[in-house]
Amino acid sequence: MTIELKGRIDSNNAARVEAEILQKLAGAEDQALTLDAAGLEYISSAGLRVILRLKKSHPELRILNVSSEVYEILDMTGFTEMMTVEKAYRVISIEGCEEIGRGANGKLYRIDQDNVVKVYKNADALEDIRHEREMAKMALILGIPTAISYDVVKVGESYGSVFELLNARSFAKILAREPEKLDWCVQEFVNMLKKIHGTRVPAGKLPDMRETAIGWARFMQDYLPEEAGKKLLSLMEAVPHDDHMIHGDYHTKNLELQNDEVLLIDMDTLAVGHPIFELGSMYNSFKGFSELHHEVFEKFQGYSFEIGAAFWHKALAAYLGTNCEAKIREVEDKARVVGYTRLIRRSIRRYGLDDPGCRAEIELWKKELLELLARTDTLLFSLNELELEAVTENLPELQAFVEERLEAADCPMKARMQISLAVEEIFVNIAHYAYAPEKGMATVRVEISEDPVTVTITFLDHGVPFDPLAKADPDLSLDAEERKIGGLGIFLTRQIMDDVAYAYKNGQNILTLKKKLG
Amino acid sequence: MDIPQKIDLHMHSSVSDGSDSPAQLLAAVRSAGLGLFALTDHDAVKGCAALRELLEPGDPLFLPGVEFSCRDGEGKYHILGYGYDPQSPAILGLVEISHGLRLKKVHARLAFLEREFGFVFPEEERRRLLARDNPGKPHIGNLMVKLGYAESKEQAIREFINKLSLPDDFIRPEQAITGILAAGGVPVLAHPSYGDGDQLILGEEMDSRLRRLMGFGLQGLEAFYSGFTAKLTRELLELAGRYGLYVTAGSDYHGKNKLISLGDTGLEDASRGPEGLLRFFAEVRERL
Repeated sequence: MTIELKGRIDSNNAARVEAEILQKLAGAEDQALTLDAAGLEYISSAGLRVILRLKKSHPELRILNVSSEVYEILDMTGFTEMMTVEKAYRVISIEGCEEIGRGANGKLYRIDQDNVVKVYKNADALEDIRHEREMAKMALILGIPTAISYDVVKVGESYGSVFELLNARSFAKILAREPEKLDWCVQEFVNMLKKIHGTRVPAGKLPDMRETAIGWARFMQDYLPEEAGKKLLSLMEAVPHDDHMIHGDYHTKNLELQNDEVLLIDMDTLAVGHPIFELGSMYNSFKGFSELHHEVFEKFQGYSFEIGAAFWHKALAAYLGTNCEAKIREVEDKARVVGYTRLIRRSIRRYGLDDPGCRAEIELWKKELLELLARTDTLLFSLNELELEAVTENLPELQAFVEERLEAADCPMKARMQISLAVEEIFVNIAHYAYAPEKGMATVRVEISEDPVTVTITFLDHGVPFDPLAKADPDLSLDAEERKIGGLGIFLTRQIMDDVAYAYKNGQNILTLKKKLG
Repeated sequence: MDIPQKIDLHMHSSVSDGSDSPAQLLAAVRSAGLGLFALTDHDAVKGCAALRELLEPGDPLFLPGVEFSCRDGEGKYHILGYGYDPQSPAILGLVEISHGLRLKKVHARLAFLEREFGFVFPEEERRRLLARDNPGKPHIGNLMVKLGYAESKEQAIREFINKLSLPDDFIRPEQAITGILAAGGVPVLAHPSYGDGDQLILGEEMDSRLRRLMGFGLQGLEAFYSGFTAKLTRELLELAGRYGLYVTAGSDYHGKNKLISLGDTGLEDASRGPEGLLRFFAEVRERL
């Protein structure tokens, strides 16, 4: 039951207002009570007492459409912490506004040059808005560039949160207008993805995607043959807990380029978990959703399904740090297991199995899923790239990482030992000299390509530019003198590997070692 | 003797503006399961004497109380007094002054209503009204309804009685506090965040108000009150701790005249403190 409060409630009329409310409540004592304060101009302590008494008889009491002045009084006196008090919101219209983004829970519109509003689907979205704000704040604190809303508004029957987003363009829009920027977009897209996945989240702050995914797998038990259902569940359960962040709805409409900065938006789906869960939802965004009807993708992202598919493929390759098709395909298949599970469950829950259109889609996904389940034994995968601090203490970690990849490629023992030696020489060299006397990070990428099987190991660091392959450097300083001793390591490395190349690009030393196997 | 779990140190009987006679109030206190209670009529102590006569063995502990309406240049205050000597001229004098001011106002109001609107109040009714312990606007309003001058008490007050604004005919807070102290009682500021009627006192204002009243001898704060949120109570407990003030808990029960239940103070279990309340109990224990 909703009762309107009007004008002033003070000692002159508090008793009368209370009596009137009680009269309206007579016979409806059990109903949840909502006070609509849109017309309430002022409330004194006499009025506050009335509200408190109503709260005692109606514990679910809510007060809506409270003006800023009244809200301040309710806040100072602690009413906002003991009951739901919702402010009256500025009303805005999105008629004629350009849709610039779309997420799981709402759509993003540009309302003017500097501001955008995210309009939530859920009519009762205030909790969602609060949640997303919390998420965005936390992400920002953890180092993820994002936008934080500064106002909540009413848009028709829905709520919206307003952000400042100056001159920003989504990656989807860039791709639609300037397809030649595809490679640049992929690179930035992957950089952000790695940043997200490299962010550790304190325990309990975000939902655990693993649990959510196990929930999907449980749901699927009724819709899959018993064997396949069991396998799906055991695959999900075998994914270990991971306290790194995942975005949960990562696609090109949720990445904005503002001036030169890339911002991640739509933070309400943040979670923690193994990156395979992210890749699953990314697969859906780029391909899964529109697998039967490709035009769905274009409607969603504003560029063609084909460009989307190419983007996904390149992004996955860059993310994995490989251009080995087999490896990319292998991880994509794992992502599809997660993706299809989610899609099927979503469609069944939203539309049921009766709708023939949905049925065709579900059948397609299910066929693919069953086929994948028959040949998938784990959802785990590893990246071919390791970023670590360039200090000699980290050498064992690096060597284990390289070993693991060589082993997976059936690299012969002798070559493994040789490569391991080369890795040690180069890494120790970087650790000693690249950032001295400071410390810095190094990235090591291990790629294995076929025909003939070739191992490529790339070392990247942001230290002082130095080409270890230059035989003699006329400007040798003392540091460089010492580097000469390391020259023996380089000599060994050149002996061991088939090809060693150096480049300095984008402020990075890039040293590439190649060795053909067998 | 330890303080009982359920206590309520602020309630009104029909001697002031509550609906329950002292006997009815005692019955209500018994059935509410209170272990300790105080009757705090406005500007009146008669109810406490009556109540004490009614007490039987096994009844909840009873602490005599009173609530004085006060005013000075800084605002309005309700000052509670507990555990005073009921025979003390100091307390009786305060009651007398307050009652006298009240009667003066009733006279003035009736004269105004007769003069301004031509209402006639029969002598018999007038005498009955003035013979009440605590006559005020609501009683005049009720009488006007009875005589057919208004539809409701509220309408009578709004449209007729309130047209006359009277000067500050209240005792001053220092009068109340010194009087209660002189009678051997403990002066406590009632519902401190709500001065009176519409006042809302918080933060800095509360702090300076308290320090001023403490200068007069104020000893306690009603930090637990039916009309307070947890936040207001927290703020008051913090102040009480800072200044070493006693803490009390009261509902402001008025019987059927207000929607407040007995024992509704926001304090679940008095035996677990706060410390200021335990000290208060130790102070008044001998006067129960």
